[in-house]
Amino acid sequence: MNRFAGLFLAFAISLSAIPTPAAAQDKSLTIFAAASMKNALDEIDTAYTAKTGVKITVSYAASSALAKQIEQGAPADVFISADTDWMDYAIGKKTINEPTRVNLLGNSIVLIAPKDSKIDNVNIGAGFDLAKLAGDGKIATGDVKSVPVGKYAKAALEKLGSWQAAEPKFAMAESVRAALTLVARGEAVLGIVYSTDAKVEPGVKVVGTFPADSHPAVIYPVAATTTAKPETADYLAFLRSTAAKTILEKYGFKFLVSPST
Amino acid sequence: MVREARYKTPARELTMLRVDVTKQLGEFLLEAAFESQGRVTGLFGASGAGKTSLINMIAGLLRPDRGVIALDDETLDDTAAGVHVPPHRRRIGYVFQEARLFPHLDVRQNLDYGRRMNSLAADPAQHARVTDLLDIGHLLDRRPGKLSGGERQRVALGRALLSKPRLLLLDEPLGSLDEGRKEEILPYLVRLRDEGIPMVYVSHDAAELRQLATQIVMLKRGRVTALGGVKVLA
Amino acid sequence: MFDISPAEWTAILLSLRVAVVATLVATPFGIALAWLLARREFWGKSILDAAVHLPLVLPPVVTGYLLLLTFGRRGLVGAWLAEHLGIVFAFRWTGAALACGIMSFPLLVRPIRLSIEAIDRRLEQASSTLGAAPWQVFTTVTLPLALPGVLAGMVLGFAKAIGEFGATITFVSNIPGETQTISSAIYSLIQTPDGDTAAARLVLISIMIAMSALIASEWFARRATKRLHGN
Repeated sequence: MNRFAGLFLAFAISLSAIPTPAAAQDKSLTIFAAASMKNALDEIDTAYTAKTGVKITVSYAASSALAKQIEQGAPADVFISADTDWMDYAIGKKTINEPTRVNLLGNSIVLIAPKDSKIDNVNIGAGFDLAKLAGDGKIATGDVKSVPVGKYAKAALEKLGSWQAAEPKFAMAESVRAALTLVARGEAVLGIVYSTDAKVEPGVKVVGTFPADSHPAVIYPVAATTTAKPETADYLAFLRSTAAKTILEKYGFKFLVSPST
Repeated sequence: MVREARYKTPARELTMLRVDVTKQLGEFLLEAAFESQGRVTGLFGASGAGKTSLINMIAGLLRPDRGVIALDDETLDDTAAGVHVPPHRRRIGYVFQEARLFPHLDVRQNLDYGRRMNSLAADPAQHARVTDLLDIGHLLDRRPGKLSGGERQRVALGRALLSKPRLLLLDEPLGSLDEGRKEEILPYLVRLRDEGIPMVYVSHDAAELRQLATQIVMLKRGRVTALGGVKVLA
Repeated sequence: MFDISPAEWTAILLSLRVAVVATLVATPFGIALAWLLARREFWGKSILDAAVHLPLVLPPVVTGYLLLLTFGRRGLVGAWLAEHLGIVFAFRWTGAALACGIMSFPLLVRPIRLSIEAIDRRLEQASSTLGAAPWQVFTTVTLPLALPGVLAGMVLGFAKAIGEFGATITFVSNIPGETQTISSAIYSLIQTPDGDTAAARLVLISIMIAMSALIASEWFARRATKRLHGN
């Protein structure tokens, strides 16, 4: 018995000696990026790592969650937010290296439905009755109190006069991608996400686009944190390069600055 | 069959145990005072008379409410002076009624336990003497679970002896055995007595004590009702 | 279906590392507390008992949040640790290990306590008459007899630690390679288009680990009974 226990303990201790995958000898950067960036940013990062050998780790979540984590001391080098509010919040908490901030990308919000939904070709304008369209079902989007896509959605609906009636039908998700999944799986009959999200999810279709003037402009600021490693500057420069621009526009993002390289 | 083996006795002729204690035991009050001189002091009385509590106090496993316990010139308990020597420092061996062998150790390891705990040097000669005396040499590699009642009791005796105690306490060591076993072990105990090992032997069986004891303390409902030689049992 | 991507491997290895460290570090504390609860009476014992079992009934997110408040960079203890000892838990794998250790603690303590309680105290008495000081009684009698129970508790605690999610993600979030365990990886994957296959793989692996741990725990528990009977 004791011999067995000893073996077991030795095995357990050897397991704990497994090196942390992230503690590589090579250079690495940690990016905290809005959930909607996932597909585009993954591709950009692969290109960057191929070019420079720097390993990129990304934590995708709602910008609200990320800003608060950075405030709590999370080890991020770069923060990409889906709205300016949360970047300003982080700046206010003195976690951002302000001179590095660039309002890099633009996006638009759309109304989506599951691929096989009977709903289609919705005209979104003043007096648009979202509640009636949803019927008995739920409308998925990010939490309207904090997640950028939810805030944009609520602003737009309020401007169009649809908010009050539709509010009870909302299913608030913790990120835009969580909302996207709800619609893709048919759990929600409608959803409000970014046009870039709808593009990558084959399980949904865009049934309407919100007029740009119904909500504050969707702007994605990018910045280095106050704890950023020196290698960050090069990465940020890459995000502004033509190579990155090509990838981002492919996914449907608007590039708001002129590419530097 | 009885071999000429010698257990080395200390220089003194007789070990002096002095007991004068009081303890509340549930319903009744245990009040006992006696001095033991001689080889085997038998504690005699019916079940529930307080015999086990008394030797538990001598062993240090139980503390008296009031009183003194001394062995030779060392005070083991003195409630007035706040003295209590813990059991592991008393060098008093204890053979329990149910043997209480360590189930996770084999017989050899059980026997060696007291020597290790007391940091005593290995004494192969004494080990051989004791295993011969108790006839347990062939059981050394067995586990307690695989021993008969009689074998367990003999190993328990050996284990207590090999810790080289100044005094040996035995609580009805034959109590849980059938007649046949008792007949088997009693001679060993007589042998131990003849080797000169001081013992306090608890029993409710007068016949046993007549064979073994050199002095009797009779206990009835917590009080010493008689004190003297074996004739007291008549 | 069965080719596991590097990201998944990372999550699996990280989970193993976190769970093993959590279990190894928690075990001495678990043994100490189990012994205290099994063998000692003292004022506040029931409060201590309840506190030990708290992570079992508190919502995991609450536990995670409390950890953040206490051990986060600006937390009561965390700030001191970071400044004076350079130890940081928040958003590090060490924090994940802390969260998992705390969440699995009740499951660790229980079998150990039960196995200590099952040990005949008269054996401990016997050992002290043979010259064993209290610490020797513990190391030569109590602990060896309780060992199968200790192992059962460790394995159970390990299984819980590997599956922990709520407290971990609240306290150390979901950073691949640092704090993204199997559970958080699955969570991220099910929100990713095309992530379902990978998620299914990880789910299967989770189930396999958990089942093995439970079976092993049972086996140790049964050996505990045999050991006490001297076989």
